[in-house]
Formats: sequence, C-alpha cells, structure tokens
Amino acid sequence: MKLTKTLTAFTLGATMAASAAFAEGTLTYAGSGGGLAQVMKGVFDDPFTAETGIAVNALATSDRASALKAMQVAGKVTWDVTELNPIEYATASLSGWLAPLDWSVMDPNNALPDDAKLADAGIAATFSTVMAVRTDKLPEGKQMTSWADFWNVEGFPGGRALQNQPIDNLEFALIADGVAPADVYTVLATEEGQDRAFAKLDEIKPHIAVWWTAGAQPVQMLSDGEVAYTSAWNGRIAKLAAEGVPVTINWNGGGIKASYVAIVKGSENVEAGQKYISFMMTSPERAAQFASMVPYPGMVKGLYDHIPAEKGTMMPTHPNNVGDQFVTNALFWGKNLGPLKERWEDWILE
Amino acid sequence: MSKRLTLLPGIALILILFLIPVGIVFQQGLFDPAFTIEHFTRFATRGAYMRIFWNTLQVSAVVALACLLIGYPIAYFIVRQPTARRPFLMFLVLVPMWMSILARTYAWMVVLGKEGIINQTLIALGIIDTPIQMLFTTGAVYVGMVQIMLPILIVTCFSSMTEIDQSLLRAARIMGASPRKAFREVFLPLSAEGAITGTLIVFILSMGFFIVPALIGGRKDTMMANVISGQVSQTNWGFAAALAIVLLAATLLILTLVRGASAKLVHHHEEAH
Repeated sequence: MKLTKTLTAFTLGATMAASAAFAEGTLTYAGSGGGLAQVMKGVFDDPFTAETGIAVNALATSDRASALKAMQVAGKVTWDVTELNPIEYATASLSGWLAPLDWSVMDPNNALPDDAKLADAGIAATFSTVMAVRTDKLPEGKQMTSWADFWNVEGFPGGRALQNQPIDNLEFALIADGVAPADVYTVLATEEGQDRAFAKLDEIKPHIAVWWTAGAQPVQMLSDGEVAYTSAWNGRIAKLAAEGVPVTINWNGGGIKASYVAIVKGSENVEAGQKYISFMMTSPERAAQFASMVPYPGMVKGLYDHIPAEKGTMMPTHPNNVGDQFVTNALFWGKNLGPLKERWEDWILE
Repeated sequence: MSKRLTLLPGIALILILFLIPVGIVFQQGLFDPAFTIEHFTRFATRGAYMRIFWNTLQVSAVVALACLLIGYPIAYFIVRQPTARRPFLMFLVLVPMWMSILARTYAWMVVLGKEGIINQTLIALGIIDTPIQMLFTTGAVYVGMVQIMLPILIVTCFSSMTEIDQSLLRAARIMGASPRKAFREVFLPLSAEGAITGTLIVFILSMGFFIVPALIGGRKDTMMANVISGQVSQTNWGFAAALAIVLLAATLLILTLVRGASAKLVHHHEEAH
C-alpha cells in the first residue's frame, strides 16, 4: 500500500515535473548535493511538484557565500532558494543579499516556533558539533561527560582531535574553563574573554594529535583508532555508531547550528520560493520523515511525536539533548570571524 | 607569415582563458575599489602569512627534489629496457594518476595511521612497542605529495630520454669511456633539460597544493592554497587575490632564476667540450 502510494507520488511527480517546466516554471534550489539531495528529492521536491506543479531543479553547490557575492556583483541571479550554513547566512544577511520572507503567508497556522522564522531566512535543519568518544578507549569505569574532562589529559589519556578553526573551539575552551554555556558569547565579545579562550586552548594544544579540516576526518580517525576523543558533527557519529564502532555522542557543551534556507535577492521566483520553504518546514510528518533519514532535524512543533525515541535521542534538538548545548551565534561569528581567524592562524602555527 | 597566422587561434585562446582571468585577479587584489596595497601589507605584516608562504616554498622545493631523486633513476631504468617492454612499465607508472587525489590521500591514513599497516607490522614483528606518530606530520605530507607528483616527473624525464640518440652512448663506449663516464658525460647532460623541466613542473604544481597538507599534515602544515581557499569562501576576495598574486609572482621568479641558472649550466657544459 505504502509502496503504491510512493510510486504514484513519484510517477505523478515525474509527469508533473515534465509538464510543470512549461506550466508553472522551475525553482532553482542551491543545496549540498549527494545523499542529502537524494533524500530531499523524495521527501520534499517530488511531493512539492506534485502538489503545486512547480519543478525543483536542485543543484549541488559549495562556497555559497562566495557564489552569492558573485551573483550580486554581476547582477545576474541564477539561484532562487539557497541553503546556507551559519557563517554563509551571517555574511549574506549582513551584506543584504537575501530577500525578505513573509511568514504570515508561509506559516499562517504557526506550526513553527518564532526562533525558526527570521526576517530573511528560515531554519530548515539543525546539527551540532559535539564531543565524540570511543567508549572502548575510556579508562576503566569512567565516562567523559564535559569539555573539562576533554581538557583533563591525565584523567583521560588518549589521542584527541579538534577542528582547525576558531568557531566552536573558543566556545568549548570557555566552557571547559567554567563559563556557563548561556554566557559564552558575552564573554567572547570582550578582548579578555578571547584571551581567556586562547589561554585555555594553550593547555590542550600539545595534546591535540590532529586539527581536522574535513567532516569525514574525525569519523575516519575514530574508526581507525587514531584518536579516542574528538569534536565532530552529530549526524556522522550517529552513522558510525550504527555501523558498530563503539562510539558515543556527548551532548554536553555541544554547539547547535542551524542550516538556513533563504531566497536570493533578485530572484524572479519569490512566490514559488516561499511556497517551497513553507512546504519544507511546516509539516511535522514530512520533517519527521526527513529527520529519520538524515539526523538533522527541523524546528517544526511536534516533530518528535513522529520519530521513534531511539532515533530521536540521537538528534540535537531532542528534549533530552537540547538543554545541554549552546546555540552557535551566527551573527557573532559573521562579524568577528575575520580577526579571530587571523589570530587562530597565528596561534596554530606557533 | 602563414605560420604566424596559424598561431592566432591558440594565442586568442590563451588570451581569453588565461590572461583575462589573471587580469581580474590582479584587479581584485589591487583595487578595493580604489588602488590600495592594503592586502599586500596585511600579508607582509602578519606573521602567520609569511610563515605559511615560506612553508609553501620549502615543501614544494623538497617535494620537487625528492621526485627528481626518485623519478630520474626510474625513468632511466625504463629507457634502458627493450622498446617492447617500455609501454607496459610506463602504464604502471601512470596507473595511480587515474585515482582521485582525495582517495589516495585517505588511503595514506590507512597505511601511516596509529593502527595502520606499517605500525601494526612493526609491532607484530616486535620492532617497536608503541605506535610511531607518522600520520599528521610534515613527513606524511612529503610522502603523500611525492607519491602524487612522481608520475609527472617520470613521464617528463622519460620523454626527453627517449629522444637521446643511443648510438652516442655506444660511441662514447667505443672511444673508451667507462659506462659510468659515458652516462655522466653524455647521457646526463642530454637528459638534464628534461629533468629540470620535470622538477620545475612538480615544483609549480606543489605550490598550489592543498588537499594533502589539509588531510594528512600536522597543524603547522598549512600551505598558501589552503589560506586562499579559506579567504575565498569568507568572501575576502581582495585578500585572496593578493595572496594568489604573491604565489604567482614567487613561482615565476623562481622559474626564471632556475631556468637562467640551468641554461648557463648546460651552455657551460657545451663550451667545455
């Protein structure tokens, strides 16, 4: 029954897509490509085309802030809706490259919390930079539960890795130094706070075997046993655990980040773009279907009512996990990344 | 005259595909929007960037020389084989180039890692007790880059060596030169230009490397291309362009110097005879 339904939806979608290109136009979506695009096609794009007659042309893109800048400079906008990571969003929003969104049209029934509805973007998915722990490398009878533990190299011997960038690490250092997650950005906004974070990082620096640069690296290093403890993105660790590697996520002190969707300023498909974003974000059933395939959940209310508990607890916005983390402040980093990144480069080469 | 005319499409192609983009890079680096050297002073005054620049030069030079030392004898060996066997040997040299650099770099993790093939073998043989840190070191960067660049040097050397008239070597032997002397006095000078060209190509390509140092290098193994790519994605195009100009200028300068020096050397050698 379900299969027939899916098949009908797919066939309908395909037929509609073919005719829609002429009838209702095509929406160009700048996404990440790969497996994520496959999931989005099945859960969002094809049903959207079936319902509205608007075809979705999903592109595999990277360096989106740079691409948006090029479009605005050239005066030729080729994307309608784009996915953005926190820094890309902050850059694009501060530079005025995004079109305003009308949430009264997109979410008339208030299915979304206000936090998810920004003036020029919506939060479509969330992920978290968390501490990943190889449980078989832990000292007998001990659990690593905080960044203070991560910094405690005598109590928890073993290889460690962190990402080679200031974002997350300055926050982790302050939390390890006793700053409450809620106060991290107030502290980090001051010169003394930044000095404090770097001083704390000085302590751990000699014990970091690897400063990773690609999301696949921590996964590889954990499964090879190259390191026992590392920061990593939650979705990849959930997958690694499912493959049978003795690895666990410690949510305490993780940095939740949003994946934004926005309409590019100058797009000629604003109305269709708003429809698509609304379609993607406002249905708890569809959001649950997406999150159970890719553990990067959206923000729609009632999402976890549709997700089995054992899957839900591996997600960053699950009620069990959300309180222990801090939300990465995209605007803080959008404004301060330049100087802090330079300081970081200096520091890492010392 | 007609010979020059046939060159026109090629020149036009280079102009459109190469000179114009490079011109835009220069414009980005020097105008923001008015003329400024701000990006260049930033490069020169921040310690990190100069250090990364010297590191890039050093890594590229070491990789190029290592490729020469390993690749030249291999090319020589292949040239000395019967002509029928050469294509197969060259095929073996080229096979790794069909594999993505990314996949090969990840493969080095399996080989060099703490629980990798080398460490596990050494431990099993009782040679060491605790694994050696090989991955995420500058040494790993050298190994990874040399492995990727080696075929390029071998091919360049090989093609220049095949053009050497083998009867010259026989003539030298007939005139009483020892095999070693025949190699040193005849083969080496004739193949030197190809070897120098190959080494320079490897050097130039290495200057723009970033996947290998990013994935298997340590925290100090950052190269210019890593910084440029970071600056582009942070939309600091002016600074990224300035860094690219520095990289290009340094490469061209070294290219000219080495070419000049080697021309003198080859010329000098010819005069001596």
